[in-house]
Amino acid sequence: MRLPRLFRTTPFRLTLLFLALFAAAASLFLAYIYIATAGEVAVRTDERVSREMASLEAVHRDGGVAALNQAVIERASVDHPMLYLLATPEGVTVSGSIPKSPIRNFSGERTWASFTLTDKDPDGALVRQPARGLEERLPDGWRLFVGADVGESEFYVNRILRALWGAGALMIVLGLAGGLLISRDVSRSMASLNNVIDKARGGDLHARAEVRGSGDEYDELAAGLNDMLDRLERSVGGLRHAGDAIAHDLRSPLTRLRARLEAGMIEADAGRKDAKAALHQALEDADGVLRTFNAVLAIARLEAVADVPGQTVFDPSELARSVAELYEPLCEEKGLEFRLEAENGLTLKANREFVAQALANILDNAVKYTPPGGAIMARVRRRSSGDLEISVTDTGPGIPPEDRARVVERFVRLENSRNAPGAGLGLSLVAAVARAHRGRLDLDEGPGAVDGSGPGLRAALVFPMAA
Amino acid sequence: MRLLIVEDDLEASRAMATGLSEKGHQCETAPDGEAGLRAARDGRFDVLVVDRMMPRMDGVTMVETLRSEGVQTPVLFLSALGEIHDRVRGLNAGGDDYLVKPYALAELQARVEALARRRELGSVQTRLKVGDLEMDLIAREVRRAGIEIDLQPREFQLLEFLMRHGGQSVTRTMLLEKVWEYHFDPQTNVIDVHISRLRAKIDKGFEKPMLQTVRGAGYRLEP
Repeated sequence: MRLPRLFRTTPFRLTLLFLALFAAAASLFLAYIYIATAGEVAVRTDERVSREMASLEAVHRDGGVAALNQAVIERASVDHPMLYLLATPEGVTVSGSIPKSPIRNFSGERTWASFTLTDKDPDGALVRQPARGLEERLPDGWRLFVGADVGESEFYVNRILRALWGAGALMIVLGLAGGLLISRDVSRSMASLNNVIDKARGGDLHARAEVRGSGDEYDELAAGLNDMLDRLERSVGGLRHAGDAIAHDLRSPLTRLRARLEAGMIEADAGRKDAKAALHQALEDADGVLRTFNAVLAIARLEAVADVPGQTVFDPSELARSVAELYEPLCEEKGLEFRLEAENGLTLKANREFVAQALANILDNAVKYTPPGGAIMARVRRRSSGDLEISVTDTGPGIPPEDRARVVERFVRLENSRNAPGAGLGLSLVAAVARAHRGRLDLDEGPGAVDGSGPGLRAALVFPMAA
Repeated sequence: MRLLIVEDDLEASRAMATGLSEKGHQCETAPDGEAGLRAARDGRFDVLVVDRMMPRMDGVTMVETLRSEGVQTPVLFLSALGEIHDRVRGLNAGGDDYLVKPYALAELQARVEALARRRELGSVQTRLKVGDLEMDLIAREVRRAGIEIDLQPREFQLLEFLMRHGGQSVTRTMLLEKVWEYHFDPQTNVIDVHISRLRAKIDKGFEKPMLQTVRGAGYRLEP
């Protein structure tokens, strides 16, 4: 049979354990009190016996055996609490309240002994009482015994013991009750946490544990659990968003591809168009869809991850030089002046490949939109704020301030760039790379309008100092 | 060349085999890693084209097993997983090249041929020669018909790659990956400009142009 749930809880078990420990400690304590009290009682009894013996010795000294005998008879006849016995040097009892000395191994001098006294109480029942006694040989050889029962003192000891037992029982009852209360309280706290965990397991990431504000470890646990759920919810939400975005972004190019294929088929059937040309066109369209897909996927992934994978520490100037080297001939070909200003000794912790791609995209745009005769300048520097900047400034037409926020959205292409190649994902990817590294993409005006060109665009990837 | 295509998507497998046979290669196919492992064990293939994710035994495990058994056949991994760490994992397992799905047939052909060629050439070379073009890798000198050609460092690397694959098509992506070590697609064809610069240096003044553009694929250095 299993114990009820409450008895299986950790706090209850702990309560039992502590109760056991406490009971053991209390027993030791009680034993000490008992020994100490009982010892005290024995000492006091011995003192009483010694005093009585001394007083009887004085009687003997003053009045001899006759006076002593008289005194013993007197004391034994009244209901005196002490025991007396006077015997001849040969051990023959002369007078006293007991018939025979309880001391068996009398040494001839003062001999102490503990013994048990058997008596009848007023009801006639036998009462056994512990007693202490002292037997002495008087100077003239007579033997005198004085004893006292320790019963009365023992009675107090027993009272104390009973009180202690009662206290022990009360302690156990209170301990158990306290344990039950504590475990109920803990169980309730745990049940609230378990409830949240169960819900999360069932797919509901909205449930949160109650933080009572007491600042105890349950609050800490609840806060930790809530934080974990927050992150999980964000991450799952990000993935869901990414899925939606991919579905949305691919639907239109796929629809276009399908329409073209269908139109091509109809036209080929009608003999107006060569089927091979239609296939060729379709292949190009499919490549376009794949490129779009790759870009959208990369953006969606960057937006979904909490921390960019594959981060390394590298020299951003070295990276910029390498990417610039890739683009420099293109600038020259197009009649653009190209310059790179890169500070030395900089470091950046990021995914190198993503940063390279982001810079390549910005350079790509600059080359694409800057008319021949213009200039492009790339720059890598540490700002006075400590942020790291990788920027590209061109002398192209720039982006009007009101459109700057919009161009980083996916698929937004401004009117005047409709006929340039590209899917409109370049800057979105750059912005996604920046955001994923807790940085940002700043778009500003370039060097300004000169001779009908410009005002140019300055696109800056800014990574915070800690990055 | 004898090729083994290990791919669980039979449609894709058939398309690949058709495309590669077109180029004169003999292709065999295996539908999963276990079958691929059995077929590739004796080392009779020149190149293995291995999909990464397959039932029963995945591509990485298959290649790791082959390499542990001492089979050194070059491996081209195909994968839908294109992140850097996926590539690194594939290459660490013993892959020689990594192609992310989806890919153009021309890209696949070029990479398979490049891998086979690498095996033929074997180890360290200090001089490369394609037609009358010669490259001294130690002195870092290039001569065509005995006339020295002055190249920038990157142009030198580009030509070296083209010469190592002389007579074969190489794609723009291959050049970007192997010469510049970038794994993304630039929106404009930056590579074209580099090629035309190089072409100006090695073909100018000579009757026969060596560096040719292959339509729909990339470039080829003709001997």
